[in-house]
Amino acid sequence: MQTRTLGATGQRSTVVAFGAIALNWLEQEGANQMVELVREHGINHFDVAPTYGDAELKLGPKLRQYREDIFLGCKTQERSYEAAWKKLERSLDRLGVDTIDLYQVHGLEYEDELETITAEDGALRAFREAQEQGLIDHIGLTSHGNPDLILDAIGEIDDMDSLMFPLNPVVDARDDADHDYDAVLQRADQEDIGTLAIKTFAKGPWPDTDELPEHERPYANWYEPVDDPETIRERLNYTLSRGVTSVLTPGDPKLVKMVLDAGDRFEELDEAAQRAIVEQARHDESPVPEQLHH
Amino acid sequence: MDVPATVRTALADRPVEGRRCLEAGAGAGNAAAGLLDAGAADVLAVTNDREHARTVRERVGTDHPGRVGVFEADLRSIPLPDDSVAVVTAHALFNVVPTTDLDVIASEITRVAAPGAHLLVDDYAPLPDGASIRDLFALENAARELADARPALTFYPGGVLRGVFETRGWEFDRRKTLLDPVPWTESHVTAHADTVRDAAARIDGDLRNVLVNRTDSLVTEIGSESVGEMYSLAFQLPE
Repeated sequence: MQTRTLGATGQRSTVVAFGAIALNWLEQEGANQMVELVREHGINHFDVAPTYGDAELKLGPKLRQYREDIFLGCKTQERSYEAAWKKLERSLDRLGVDTIDLYQVHGLEYEDELETITAEDGALRAFREAQEQGLIDHIGLTSHGNPDLILDAIGEIDDMDSLMFPLNPVVDARDDADHDYDAVLQRADQEDIGTLAIKTFAKGPWPDTDELPEHERPYANWYEPVDDPETIRERLNYTLSRGVTSVLTPGDPKLVKMVLDAGDRFEELDEAAQRAIVEQARHDESPVPEQLHH
Repeated sequence: MDVPATVRTALADRPVEGRRCLEAGAGAGNAAAGLLDAGAADVLAVTNDREHARTVRERVGTDHPGRVGVFEADLRSIPLPDDSVAVVTAHALFNVVPTTDLDVIASEITRVAAPGAHLLVDDYAPLPDGASIRDLFALENAARELADARPALTFYPGGVLRGVFETRGWEFDRRKTLLDPVPWTESHVTAHADTVRDAAARIDGDLRNVLVNRTDSLVTEIGSESVGEMYSLAFQLPE
């Protein structure tokens, strides 16, 4: 599988990165097999979090076996110095490793959180101390929040090496400020910050729980995913052609293989082909169903 | 409303800011929305379809009060004085213009355009052989010819439309590919199939059922299809 440079880190990450949340839904042996499968496709960038159920524990055995070959991303939702330190130590313990390559502020959503993490007793001080002690190598941030907030975070955090945020043609078809993740991508490129795309395979929100109870959802994703190989390939080709470093595999293990296959066959799309995919997404969502034109 | 990437891309290299613009053949008002977003002083949207006129007023007019004028009129006689607009868009217009009307509409667009005006002509290149959606468009044309004695759709090669405007004094500036392939989504397929059914309902005799039955099976066969090219031509009138 092709690789791309993750910003200024020097790390060459495969264009598909493994979202280890998928392991949470598998028994240990199934988790081991999935990691073997992912490695067979050459994937060298893994991402996990303490909030993904048992994913850290289930990733542990195979991670330790192949530790040197894997660029490991982990993250914390803790915003304070003390709590972030504790969560980092807990993740190292649960994963059973000495170091994490990329430690990320997880799910930044509000302006006051940015103030908290950058404050004297904020989480980033813990990150930087851990970096000095060699426990983590790089610092990143993840958010599916407002693009303006992410831009502010880029401005505030000088040592940010990577950003994880939503990117897909449905989002790109909307041009209000709330969906302007393109601005985030452009700014990250200017600052030489690596970019990791999430929600690439999102079709839309799940129907209301009255209509479809949570336990009846066919996939363990936060959102309803696209789930046929051709559409998955199109989404992957699109998002990678926009220039992100890597795209994360979706949260449901059933979809991981399709994305790995698509990653093996990745083909860059020119701009007209990218617009064709955005246009298709726009029509899928169109408020004017009788529209005949593009 | 969100401006489609096609419109945004076509307008990206055109000077729209502060100018009076004409959207010739406003369907859903996509170009009007793009022109306003790009800073047009105001947009006159001309359409001969009452439903479209209402759609443009609702979708675009409410976001930009006082900057959109919707005219229900025929492009063969545009209700505007000579030299009155600085930018004209014909975004996905000419595919619904039959060859018999092409000349007169091009003349009218030229008449209302001021010296130095810019013109965008965005449309679909003829579909390649083997495209399934062509069969549906062929049915649509057959049904409309039988019902109304005019075709529904004509896909002009870019070179043809270029020639039409060059002979009227427009200087050709550039050609861009907006979409390749063109995504004909299920909603497009459904909408075009409805057009066949509507036209077929106006035909007497056995052909009506033949057209409707063939349409029903084509809708299932096609589902959706990505094929063909949408291009953008840009012109300017000499000062």
